[in-house]
Amino acid sequence: MAEAAELVVETQHLTKIYQNRQIALNDVSLSIEPGCVLGLLGPNGAGKTTFLRLVLGLHRPTAGWAKVFKQTMSPNAADLRRRIGYIPTNPQFPKGMTPIVYLDYIARLFGLPADVRKPKLATLIRAVDLLPHSGDSIAHFTPGMTARLAVAASLINEPDLLIWDEPTHGLDIEARRSMLELIKRLASEKTLIISSHNLSDVDEVCNHACVLNKGQMIFHGSLQDLKGRIRKNHYELDLDGDQKAITKTVQAVRAMKDVTHAVLRHRRLEIKLGDETPNALVLAQLFQTLADHKVTLITVRSVGMQTEQAYLDLVEKEEGRGFARLYQSAEAA
Amino acid sequence: MEANPPVVTVRFNKFLPYWAVFLTDLRQTARSWVYRLWVLMTVAAAAGLLLYKVGLHKEAGMFQSAAAQSGDLFRVMVVGSLALVVVLAVSAISAERGTVADSVLSRGISRHQYFLAKWHARLVVVTATFAALACLVLLATYFLFKDDAQSDLSLVGGLAAVLAVCAVLAAIVSWGVTIGALTNTTVLGITVFWLVLYGSGFLLSLLPEPWPSPERQLARLKFVLQGQYNPAVLTQLLVASAAACVGAATVGLLGFSKRDV
Repeated sequence: MAEAAELVVETQHLTKIYQNRQIALNDVSLSIEPGCVLGLLGPNGAGKTTFLRLVLGLHRPTAGWAKVFKQTMSPNAADLRRRIGYIPTNPQFPKGMTPIVYLDYIARLFGLPADVRKPKLATLIRAVDLLPHSGDSIAHFTPGMTARLAVAASLINEPDLLIWDEPTHGLDIEARRSMLELIKRLASEKTLIISSHNLSDVDEVCNHACVLNKGQMIFHGSLQDLKGRIRKNHYELDLDGDQKAITKTVQAVRAMKDVTHAVLRHRRLEIKLGDETPNALVLAQLFQTLADHKVTLITVRSVGMQTEQAYLDLVEKEEGRGFARLYQSAEAA
Repeated sequence: MEANPPVVTVRFNKFLPYWAVFLTDLRQTARSWVYRLWVLMTVAAAAGLLLYKVGLHKEAGMFQSAAAQSGDLFRVMVVGSLALVVVLAVSAISAERGTVADSVLSRGISRHQYFLAKWHARLVVVTATFAALACLVLLATYFLFKDDAQSDLSLVGGLAAVLAVCAVLAAIVSWGVTIGALTNTTVLGITVFWLVLYGSGFLLSLLPEPWPSPERQLARLKFVLQGQYNPAVLTQLLVASAAACVGAATVGLLGFSKRDV
């Protein structure tokens, strides 16, 4: 376990109840180490944004605490927020500003003197490809341009911790790809917390995950741990070759004792192995069988998106626990 | 072996966030439709009333003293401005609640600095605008009714009247900003503030003479414009207004720093 001195974010029993009517977050305790890229997952209303706002000091916890860089976060902790870069969901900007005016405003909000902020905002506007629009009003920006401006604003203070709430929300394919590449590059030097509905994004850029469901944390750990919980040993193979040879191959596969299920649809073979079967050995036998029958293997893949499957399993399991939810589950602990 | 690059330490200016919000709010308020409507309506109403009085004076020969006319105008301006001043004050913080406030308060600014910057910006906008409009009205009255004004209007009295009205407006703006910071929506804030304003005005009108009722004070403006005022009472009004402003700011600072945005 990491020493407390190394932690970027630490929360203990963090709880938020809005006006005694809605429990948005329930007893969340977690720690985030430097260099961690944490994907915050959960369905709508799970408490992701509430968690981020508590970490930023925009909300005050009903119970528990959140520490950032070893100090307790509060609405007046301006010094702590100087080390954080934040992008809210669907960022909105004050009206009538151009990107230059807006970034200058944000830099002044961080207390950056003119000789530091002016060159920096010029560099950032160039970096996020807004140079041709630097004199245009933000009000007329497309979602992609708005997202790029929000990225620039979150980086202007050279933060150690980045908190991005659904950064790929509403972006087209190209803009989303650029955003993911940027996150990957930033991950090498900063700590990131990324809230997202898009599990493939989290799968691509994050190394840790935290799953929230109805305000409660049901998993916190590495992405590998999360994937390790999924139902394994379910594969699809795309085959090519003589149809008779393929049919014979399928018969041979069905005869293998560790294969519990083998179905051929056109030239796609779907197989399931026993839960406890060591998959590498069986797959090696399977490939050998294909080679023996001179069948070409075009692709092989594990069925389902791994992170998505693991996430759905977790949420389903949590829902099925009934009153046992009273006790912390092993994953959350 | 390569030498390590020199570590550049950025010295943060702790007052810069306050100035950033203050200046941005000044600019944005001046651009807002509420402010423009307030200025336009006040100028139009004042010009209309003045022209009407000039017409009465020149054509019908009906005469009213310059001080009485300025006093009437001041009263119209204050009562007419109140609705829009309330909107300007209450919306200072409440209108930004949501993602715009997120994008400001998630940076290196404390709640205290944000509240103070917003409060000061609205105070400056409202009092400076009213003072400028009131001075324009006084000048216009002076030149339109020059013969009477030379004997009737007093420069010191005019300044005292403007100062007194601005002091009352400052207290109203301060409580408006505070109520806006403590309520969840602008509409709720305006409703609550109207109730407070009307309630306190009504209660004050029930109190006997030494207590300042809004009606009585506004009716006295024409005497103040003639220079007939008690400096001690004016000082008391300024001190009371300053106390009300400080009280509002204290409540606002404490309350807003404990609220979710």
